[in-house]
Amino acid sequence: MSTRDFTILTDVSMITCIIQRGKADEVVQAAQDAGAQGATIHYGYGSGVRERLGLLGLAVDVEKEVITILVADDQADRIFERIYFAAEMDLPGAGIMYLTKLEKAATYIPPEIKEKVGRAS
Amino acid sequence: MANDGKISFGGYTRELYVHVDKLSYNKMVPPIEYDAQGNEKPYRPASIAAGSGDIYRLLKPYLSVRFNEQFRAVTPLAIYLVLFQLFILRQPIADSSVITAGLVAVIVGLMLFMEGLKVGLMPFGEALGTSLPARAKLMTVVVVVFLLGIGVTFAEPAIGALQIAGSLVNVHQAPYLYFLLTQWSGSLVLSVGVGVGLAAALGTIRSIYGWSLKPLIYMTLVPVLLIAIYMALDAELSKVLGLAFDCGAVTTGPVTVPLVLSLGIGIARAAGRGSDAMSGFGIVTLASLFPIVAVMVLALTLSLSYSPDEIITAATVATTGLGQIPWYESSPGVEIVGGIRAIVPLVIFLLLVMVLLLGERIPHAKIVSFGIFLCVIGMIVFSLGLSYGLSKLGGQSGGVVPAAFTALESVQGSPLYVLSFGLFIAVGFAWILGFGATLAEPALNALGMTVESLTSGSFKKSTLMYAVSLGVACGISLGVAKIIFEIPIAYLLVPGYLIAIGLTYASNEEYVNIAWDSAGVTTGPVTVPLVLAMGLGFGNALGAVEGFGILSMASIGPIIAVLSTGLYIRWKIFKSHAMSDDIAETDGVV
Repeated sequence: MSTRDFTILTDVSMITCIIQRGKADEVVQAAQDAGAQGATIHYGYGSGVRERLGLLGLAVDVEKEVITILVADDQADRIFERIYFAAEMDLPGAGIMYLTKLEKAATYIPPEIKEKVGRAS
Repeated sequence: MANDGKISFGGYTRELYVHVDKLSYNKMVPPIEYDAQGNEKPYRPASIAAGSGDIYRLLKPYLSVRFNEQFRAVTPLAIYLVLFQLFILRQPIADSSVITAGLVAVIVGLMLFMEGLKVGLMPFGEALGTSLPARAKLMTVVVVVFLLGIGVTFAEPAIGALQIAGSLVNVHQAPYLYFLLTQWSGSLVLSVGVGVGLAAALGTIRSIYGWSLKPLIYMTLVPVLLIAIYMALDAELSKVLGLAFDCGAVTTGPVTVPLVLSLGIGIARAAGRGSDAMSGFGIVTLASLFPIVAVMVLALTLSLSYSPDEIITAATVATTGLGQIPWYESSPGVEIVGGIRAIVPLVIFLLLVMVLLLGERIPHAKIVSFGIFLCVIGMIVFSLGLSYGLSKLGGQSGGVVPAAFTALESVQGSPLYVLSFGLFIAVGFAWILGFGATLAEPALNALGMTVESLTSGSFKKSTLMYAVSLGVACGISLGVAKIIFEIPIAYLLVPGYLIAIGLTYASNEEYVNIAWDSAGVTTGPVTVPLVLAMGLGFGNALGAVEGFGILSMASIGPIIAVLSTGLYIRWKIFKSHAMSDDIAETDGVV
């Protein structure tokens, strides 16, 4: 029986960031500049602060983009913070973001990196 | 795991320029409150008062996105007209500051209007579309759709351009046209509205029963062409034909299309035909054909009740007998009254249907009323911009372009070029204007994407956009040529529609839907007033009787272009099939 390689990534965190429609590119760029490798975006709609802003709430889009970014634990706080400012989370109605500790992840890992990292540990 | 991937905590904190506070969410949760009976009160969060800095940061992207959207629609066209006038015709722009202010008003007005439409009127349309078919009988639904069609026509911003156009028509040359655009302008808009209403009602019934569009097109075009031919034979009535066909193009604008479509699609979905992707199409087509019949019938009624001489005497009496013009008939007043009159009846109608017929409350009443307020303000600002900016600029360009090939009193040294080259410049000017304006129309981009997904990629988005733009460009050039050479409009329209009928017969249902609808989307709130004013200015400069008809040529152009492209694509697919069948017995899957 031939064996097949299967590598599991550990020490992974997930940053989920819910922002107004159309701002995702900017946020993903900021996260990538800070070292994030990729991002997944899906669409949704949500409410909360928008309804409490009165007429000003019209400036907040009901349609949202939900960005999911997987990061290494060590980068997590740094990227989390960059996203906070890139997404202008300090504005009412701008959105919400959270960080979740993941148990494991798996994806394509370039062979030379796998070898290098495996030797170092 | 890798040691070199780790960052020391010290280095990490140094990198942070941020002061981090921790706050337990538990402390922010409101206490549970109980009423007198000991039941839990539902939690109602207090409203948030944003600081002035936050308000600025919230509003800035919101406003700039919407401003840029309209800016992109208006500016390239305006720049094109100005550059053409300055460099090719070497004429200064008169009243440039007024025109600039007018164009800014157009941009701001459209921005406010579109936003108001989105938050104030569209929720009504959607709510009606989903709940009306479930609560009311088919007959009631159809009546509501009919009345809505009339209402949206009055609210259509481009309709205002027609009234402005009336002031440019000479009563002695075209009495019926003059009378329709001035004294009877209310009836004119109403008859266009009736046409749109009937089209919306029929379109809705069609989507419920899943009728094919082809027979409906034949059945509508037969009376259109018969009445058109009858009117073309009458010397006085033939001058109204251009207006009648142009009205069809004016109706399908930014209010009618989304509101009527959202209602139509909602009804079709409730009838269980929502899965049919084509059900949304067709209403726009009918809404651009029916008003033509309605306006022609109105013109016939007019010709039966008044003779041309009566109108001319009446008009001369009216102009000489003018004392003081009341405030609501002079410039800012007429736009304010017009803006309110356009929106308020539609809102009242929608409200009555919602409250009386459906017994529903208005959701988010505060935001909806703010949206309606925006609509009214936007409409007023837009109409002001229309009279001082777009129409003025279009009229001016139209008035100067003929100087390229003919002698005009107002232009020194005209004709500027040799006759043949001047004619080429004038027609080329119209061609580029039509091509650019259509390609830039956002609605066309949206239609292109729908079509590409509906035909699973065989009709590419860019193919459609170029076909439509090419059609409009050629149509507008023909329209301009019609004014230059004084070709009766019927000579162009009747063969045009006959070709369209022939192509419709040869094409399959899908392409028929797309092609006939593409004509409707090309005529937006910026293109219509500009082209109308340009045509009228053109006509006036040349001493032509009337400058209408360019828009109608611009709507028949894309129909023929798209249908031909559709046939060509089908022929190509057929040919490639035949070839692959020759090579091997393939499975025949496209």
